[in-house]
Amino acid sequence: MATIMAVDDTASMRQMISFTLNSVGYDVIQAGDGAEALKLAKDRKVDLVICDLNMPNMDGITLVRSLRALDTYKFTPILMLTTESHADKRDQGKTAGATGWIVKPFNPEQLVNVVKKVLG
Amino acid sequence: MTPLPLPNRWWLWAIVAVIGSWAWTVPFVPLGVAAGTACTTAIAVVLIAGYAIKRRGAEPTLASYMTTAGGEPEQRASDELEALLSKPEEMVPLPPVDQLLKSMETENHRRRLEDLLRRWVDVAHRYSEAALVLRKEIHTVVGHTEQAANTISSSFQAVINKATLQAREAMELLEGTQGGQSEGAPQSLTDFIRVSDERLTKMADEVVRVADLSVQMVKELDGVQTRAQAIDGFLLDVEKLADQTSLLALNADIEAARVGEHGRGFSIVAQEVRRLSQRSHEFSDRIRQHLKEVKVGLHKTYGDMRNLSAADMEHALKIKEDVITLTRSLEGKNREVAETVGRINTISREIAQDVHNVVVSLQFHDITSQKLKGMLEPMDDLRRMLFHLMQETMATGKNLLPQKEEAAPAKPEEAAEAQPGSSDAALRKLRAVGVSTNGPSVELF
Repeated sequence: MATIMAVDDTASMRQMISFTLNSVGYDVIQAGDGAEALKLAKDRKVDLVICDLNMPNMDGITLVRSLRALDTYKFTPILMLTTESHADKRDQGKTAGATGWIVKPFNPEQLVNVVKKVLG
Repeated sequence: MTPLPLPNRWWLWAIVAVIGSWAWTVPFVPLGVAAGTACTTAIAVVLIAGYAIKRRGAEPTLASYMTTAGGEPEQRASDELEALLSKPEEMVPLPPVDQLLKSMETENHRRRLEDLLRRWVDVAHRYSEAALVLRKEIHTVVGHTEQAANTISSSFQAVINKATLQAREAMELLEGTQGGQSEGAPQSLTDFIRVSDERLTKMADEVVRVADLSVQMVKELDGVQTRAQAIDGFLLDVEKLADQTSLLALNADIEAARVGEHGRGFSIVAQEVRRLSQRSHEFSDRIRQHLKEVKVGLHKTYGDMRNLSAADMEHALKIKEDVITLTRSLEGKNREVAETVGRINTISREIAQDVHNVVVSLQFHDITSQKLKGMLEPMDDLRRMLFHLMQETMATGKNLLPQKEEAAPAKPEEAAEAQPGSSDAALRKLRAVGVSTNGPSVELF
């Protein structure tokens, strides 16, 4: 099954994403901030990235831009998962290249549906 | 220097003055001279007005404070909070305090100002200290909730895994694995029940069949017995016949002897006939002997069989009844198993719903800690602002704040001991929350 990378500075958030997606059969790897996520993404190919906006070392939007700059991640779906629901942040994300936007707290069924949709 | 008081619409008066100073000279002096006078007047008026305006612009906003010092209008708490927490603007430095004070007209105003400033500095000082405590507490709260949330999250996942495992084990026990059976041995409870049912029924049917067979056998034996009796009867007839034949032969022999010579042939025949009839007696005896043995054997078997078969049949029927009862209770057990499987599935579905709720709720730790951390920045900004303000105020007017002299040079970053005031008591209470003691956790009085 597909591999998903969950990026958030809160451990419990990563665990909830991991738990929800593991129970439907996906593999989930975790990263604590943008820098770690970028390194992991270069080491192995993941099929989908779910990341938070506010993180230390490298925030979400910068991470999206950095990933889109890599050849292997030009078309990989990237979902932003964040508490901020301001339109300007959403537009920033879209411009940076994110595939979609989920507001926290997420509904587990909705997360699974959207993941299934973008992964095809 | 006192500001020049300017009447309203000074510019109107200026124009009137220019026209007037020009107009009244017209009849007396040449036009040029009149114009020159008018221009001079105009220039003088403009200069004076400009100077007056400049003086008014330099006047500090303290004047506006003066008018509102007595009764500050009340604002809504949320407005204040928003103003406090929004990004601070460029700080406008206050003009030197003693200059202001010197420019005050009455000693009363001056004293009121001093007092207010003292109170403001006090607030700034206390807030700086309180802010440090609050910042530490906020960090502690964030740390605690993160730890707790992580523990809850891991434990929750472990519980779910174990519950799933339990359900799976129970289902395997009741229904068996999907992988099929090994060498015909039943793998699950349902299979076991089904197989037991089949085998017991088969066994019962076998027993009944055997009983039935033995009944048949008894009937056959009865038939044989009857035939044996019949044969016995025939033998008697045969013996009687043999005896009669022998007697006849004897008579024939006697008659033959009476005839004499001619009867000798006949007498030999008669003797042969007698021998024959003797032989048939012997045969008949032997047959009878055999028959007796057969009868004895038959009798024994017949007796045993009869007893056995009657009891057998009764027994067999009772066994069949018991087996039927057993299979009915096995069917009941099968239904129970199916019901239990259904209940396990329902509970699994309910657990899925609970899991959903927990997954949503556990995310709130992340949201709340972000909010808490977000509180720190405005607090720090306010603290820094107040600190600078306090320093500036104290630097310019030492005579203003005699009682704060010893505390003035101290940096607000140093942790201060509790000072009198209700906010300090509240802070002390806040610090004490969640601090673990080394005593026993439960005590009975």
